[in-house]
Amino acid sequence: MVTDDLRRSRLTVFFRLLLALPHIVWIVLWTIVVIPAAIATWFATLVTGRPPAGLHGFLSAYIRYGAHLAAYLSLAANPYPGFTGEPGYPVDVELPEPAPQPRWQTAFRLVLALPALLVTAAVGSGGGGGGGGRGGGADADWGFLLSGGGILAVCAFLGWFAALALGRMPNGLRDLGAYGIGYSAQAYAYLLLVTDRYPNANPDAAGPRWSLPPHAIDVEVDDGGRRSRLTVFFRLLLALPHFVWLTLWSVAAFLAAVANWIYTLVRGRSAAPLHRFLAAYVRYSAHVTAFATLVANRFPGFTGQPGYAVDIAIGPADRQSRWVTLFRTILVVPALLVSGGLSAALAVIAFLGWFAALATGRMPDGLRRLGVIAVRYLAQTSAYWLIVTDDYPYASPSLRADEPIEPAAELHGEAAA
Amino acid sequence: MRLLGLPLLATGWALAAWSLWQTRVPDGLRPPKLDTARVFEAASLERAETYERFLRLDFVVSQLVLLVVLALYAWRGARFARESAAGRIGTGMLLGMIGLALVWLSQVPFRLAETWWDRRYDQTDAGYVTTLFENWFALGAEFLFISLALVIVMALAGRFPRRWWIAAAPVFIGLAALFAFVTPYLFPTEPADAAVQADAKRFARAQEIEPPRISVQDVSDFTDAPNAFAAGFGPTRRVVLWSSLLDGRFSDGEVEVVLAHELGHHSGNHILEGLAWYALFALPGTWLIALATRRRGGMGRPAAVPISLFVLVVLQLGSLPLQNAISRHMEEEADWAALETTRDPARARGLFEKFTTLALADPDPPSWATALLDSHPPILERIELAEAWRARR
Repeated sequence: MVTDDLRRSRLTVFFRLLLALPHIVWIVLWTIVVIPAAIATWFATLVTGRPPAGLHGFLSAYIRYGAHLAAYLSLAANPYPGFTGEPGYPVDVELPEPAPQPRWQTAFRLVLALPALLVTAAVGSGGGGGGGGRGGGADADWGFLLSGGGILAVCAFLGWFAALALGRMPNGLRDLGAYGIGYSAQAYAYLLLVTDRYPNANPDAAGPRWSLPPHAIDVEVDDGGRRSRLTVFFRLLLALPHFVWLTLWSVAAFLAAVANWIYTLVRGRSAAPLHRFLAAYVRYSAHVTAFATLVANRFPGFTGQPGYAVDIAIGPADRQSRWVTLFRTILVVPALLVSGGLSAALAVIAFLGWFAALATGRMPDGLRRLGVIAVRYLAQTSAYWLIVTDDYPYASPSLRADEPIEPAAELHGEAAA
Repeated sequence: MRLLGLPLLATGWALAAWSLWQTRVPDGLRPPKLDTARVFEAASLERAETYERFLRLDFVVSQLVLLVVLALYAWRGARFARESAAGRIGTGMLLGMIGLALVWLSQVPFRLAETWWDRRYDQTDAGYVTTLFENWFALGAEFLFISLALVIVMALAGRFPRRWWIAAAPVFIGLAALFAFVTPYLFPTEPADAAVQADAKRFARAQEIEPPRISVQDVSDFTDAPNAFAAGFGPTRRVVLWSSLLDGRFSDGEVEVVLAHELGHHSGNHILEGLAWYALFALPGTWLIALATRRRGGMGRPAAVPISLFVLVVLQLGSLPLQNAISRHMEEEADWAALETTRDPARARGLFEKFTTLALADPDPPSWATALLDSHPPILERIELAEAWRARR
């Protein structure tokens, strides 16, 4: 659930980490108690087939509290959270009542949760739904913000500057951060036996209705999720010719982008031939990324022609702001940071997807959709940097091309379980 | 015109082959016939024979499996075209790479068996995981090479559907020449020590060539087997000695024989001769592939790629005895050059004997194994050549 209005208090944003110190101490203490509670729940669930109501409530509160704290720390929410994990925080998670759980799944829960925890490390804080849930305590919580790893950390870092400057959190960053928190909460709810439902990485299935405003660079998907096991097994090797070709093309694209930058500064719009060339490059790099990371199945062409299973729609050259063009290389830096976080997520998607696709002949839907979102953002960043468009990359974790949603509206979804 | 052209081409081919077959080893040399039982201790002989017997079996079975896999791929492989959105040439590249991937997969058990056997006989320190994953870099290079080869072939076949092979053969010869030229730079080496460099200068003068660079490649992480090779031509000429040759098991005199042998390859222009042989085989080889793929629409169509891989491997296996015969011929000439340079057949003999006792080379393998597997003359023949040199003096 996200009921955040995007407004931020500059003073609390500036001192956010210091203000959160009591919470960090508190969650470390809470985590110390949660570990034996989780072990007790595991034994009880193995024996009785369902988690005891008291322990379930305690662990649920812990997960909710972790989500609140992660939202506060990452600036996905503004108010100072309570210490008890009570529902009602602007970025919150809904957790199910205790229900029967298959014993064999309970027995292997730690092993089964590993892939989800790996995704959590990429899209969330690593500590995720429980700010200190990975048992690292305060160091772990500080670590995710300082290490630069994980999408949530990037959102927090960029959001800090944006919120200080604007007094508002950018909608896209907030949504992306909230998605990371939501997924992490799902993963920890699964790990701690609050639910037996496996975390779903599909942002549109397991989150609120995220905003997705129109953008000059959009993604078009025509992929059913089927994968050829043989080409999956050798995917990186098969992609080698594309990597070589993409590298060569990148050199030409760099020179074309410089020419395009000068032309756009003078004329206020890209030169049509350069625009076509750079748009093909952006499309091609998206095709190669999708293929290499198993987000798409078929071997892509080498020319960046439209029509690939995960394709990038790019319109004709449009007018661009000269000021934005002049400072493009500086302005793109935040988007590059988000791209870095999403690239790490793509690497995790490819790694997990490789095993899943080899075993089942299909790419898990949630991972595939998250991958498409990452590919779209990377393409938007490339297009912005290469002066194909002056639309700033939008970090929405959604594929639904719905009408934009007012930031203040209440956004409901299935959140955690 | 065609009736006249074919015999002319065949005559030209035969003349070129005859010219390349010329050697510095004197005519009418009658090496003495030695008995392996008198040259080697029974235990060493038994060990080397047992060791190589398994490797021969491994090779034969692996090649049979390879042929079956590629035959199946030639039959059904075109269906993988549905995994591609890359157009004609890109799809051909994908099918080529998938073929290579299947070849790699089919050979994994045999590579592991070879490692097991080598470890059993103390011929390698490499583990099984290393055996599997060390080759991934080489496999990547092969994927890139086959992609490039198919880009060339399919682009030419798209333009000249029936005559592409006439243009493709020179391109591949050029690529082979480029590869031979840059080979010395493809692996890390260190310069050899001053004493070895001084020997190399002396021997190079004796063989009337400019001394090439002498380098040492550290192979201590994966093998104890001794080896050395000559690489490059023109300004990139180099002799590379494996560190296993310099670890104290071989005397300075024996290392000198190896050095003189490798310089013999350079003084005999064997790298360029090898390229010339490749050129002689490239044209008929590409023609046969063009012929075999016509039923699938020719090499311009991706569906022809799987069958072209099968034909290529059949041609390679079929010409293996000839390739090995050519290689053994050059090695014999290099041995002779080494004997002429060092003028010490006893050291040469000692070196060859150690190849059997240390590297477990069967001194007198069956003739079919020599034809299919041996790029060097059998050890006993090399010793006999040394004795023939001694007898001539």
